[in-house]
Amino acid sequence: MKSLNLLISFAKYALSFVIAIGLWEAYARFGGLNELFLPRPSKIGAKLYNMFFETGMIYWHFYVTMAQMAIGFTYGIIIGNTLAVLAAFNESFRRYIAPYAVVFNVTPGIAVLPLIIAWFGFGWESKIALATLVCFFPPFINTLTGLLKKDDAAVELFQTLGASKYQFFWKQQLPNALPEIFAGLKLAITTALLGTIVAQFGSATEGVGILMQRFAFSLDMAGSFASLVTMALMGLMVFTIAEVMDRRIVFWRDAKGLERVSKKRSKKIA
Amino acid sequence: MSYSTTDQAKHVSVFRTLPVHLAIFAGLILLWEFVNLYGFEDRIQADMIAPRPTHIGLAMIDIFFIDKTVWHHLGSTFQKALLGASIGTVIGMGLAISATLSETFRKYIKPWIILMEATPRIAVGPIFVALLGFGLWSAVALAALVAFFGPFVNTFQGLMEIDEESEEMFRSLGASKFQTFWKLRFASALQLISAGWKLATASAFGGALVSEFIQASEGMGVLIAQYVIMITMDYAFAALLSVTIFGYILFKIMEYMDYHLIFWQNDLLMLKVSEKRRKKMGVSS
Repeated sequence: MKSLNLLISFAKYALSFVIAIGLWEAYARFGGLNELFLPRPSKIGAKLYNMFFETGMIYWHFYVTMAQMAIGFTYGIIIGNTLAVLAAFNESFRRYIAPYAVVFNVTPGIAVLPLIIAWFGFGWESKIALATLVCFFPPFINTLTGLLKKDDAAVELFQTLGASKYQFFWKQQLPNALPEIFAGLKLAITTALLGTIVAQFGSATEGVGILMQRFAFSLDMAGSFASLVTMALMGLMVFTIAEVMDRRIVFWRDAKGLERVSKKRSKKIA
Repeated sequence: MSYSTTDQAKHVSVFRTLPVHLAIFAGLILLWEFVNLYGFEDRIQADMIAPRPTHIGLAMIDIFFIDKTVWHHLGSTFQKALLGASIGTVIGMGLAISATLSETFRKYIKPWIILMEATPRIAVGPIFVALLGFGLWSAVALAALVAFFGPFVNTFQGLMEIDEESEEMFRSLGASKFQTFWKLRFASALQLISAGWKLATASAFGGALVSEFIQASEGMGVLIAQYVIMITMDYAFAALLSVTIFGYILFKIMEYMDYHLIFWQNDLLMLKVSEKRRKKMGVSS
């Protein structure tokens, strides 16, 4: 019964999607739209098919963009989390970096792009650097708030049970902060993708960003919309990965996950 | 035993911390200056990677007061960003209010919103340039597109979270639908909504700058890129710094507005406002 309901609601979504696309297509067919403005969905679809299955040229750009994003993201979370842990455990460090954090927060990271290109050149390094720069801030702030969040009852419990500092960190503080940490990672992964693509607009020879810019500037709108769809696909992919990881690791957030894991653990113990 | 990790922040007075802050700042700047002077073999390379803070300062004075180039570009970027943020906010809040009022609308808009969230929206930049030309409006459109999401999500979340007891009270006092919406839902959501405005402004700046990198003849994005191409890195840093300064001022203005708009957050301010309102109604306290 439940799966049937799910199927029906999915069918409804799919139907509304098809209707919207159909209206767009029909309107374009009857000449309501300038092809240079908004290409027909069928043309975008054909271009996508061409890019993915006929020539396969998209895969290289796809790989390049994803790899640059992944490297930038990794650096970003390492830097952000390290700073956050330092700030959480050392009050004076926290106090003295606070003004710099504020200044950093109000500067749009993207504005540094020309400087980054001058420093790191036209290759992969500049994309990775921009991705790192724009994505390290959310993990920093989120991890810091997560670690500073204090559950008084839990602290007391750990104290009365005589837990060591080490145990306290691993079993209370870190798990307590994990929901925030993961929210930060989710934000970071999408901003890393954004930073990579913007850096590719600035200067690049490969990547989905430059592909789209080339299509747009040669007024091949179907091509540029097709690359936009590819970017949406990438975004959905990384977002889903982050979401699944979040559900798996922060399993206690919803009741179902909690039940699943505690069943497994009780079996193990018994 | 105590786990002395977190907030045992005794309120250290500003007068004690400020000198230390200043000393650290001065130390960093001095270190930077010395690294530039003695840390590199090659002068050109040194000025390329880390231009001297004194040079950056001089460049700041130049672009602000002597040459006065920066004002025009700052104005252009602010115009694009603020126009974009306002349009984006109106669209985002409109969508959010419709989504809270109608369940069907909410249901059907959801997959599109998820799709929008996952797409790096700034990437639409080149398409907007192709569609709307090289002028102001392609930048405004991009800024609006990236800005609308923050107000949308925040307004939606704020309006959906409703205190049931208050709602019951409104019902028992016979409040109209409009009154319930305006005085209960909207008022209690205002804090999140104004956070959404701040998000919108910040992301609109990002959108405007990216659009200027792709195409433009004026704006801070253009100015920074120009200085970098001419390898006058001290000027590029000065331009970047001016974006930061004015961004900070804007942020502070918004915080100030926030403080007065949501007066019930602060007890003292709330007392003042309620006193004023009482007088207006002619009730003696």
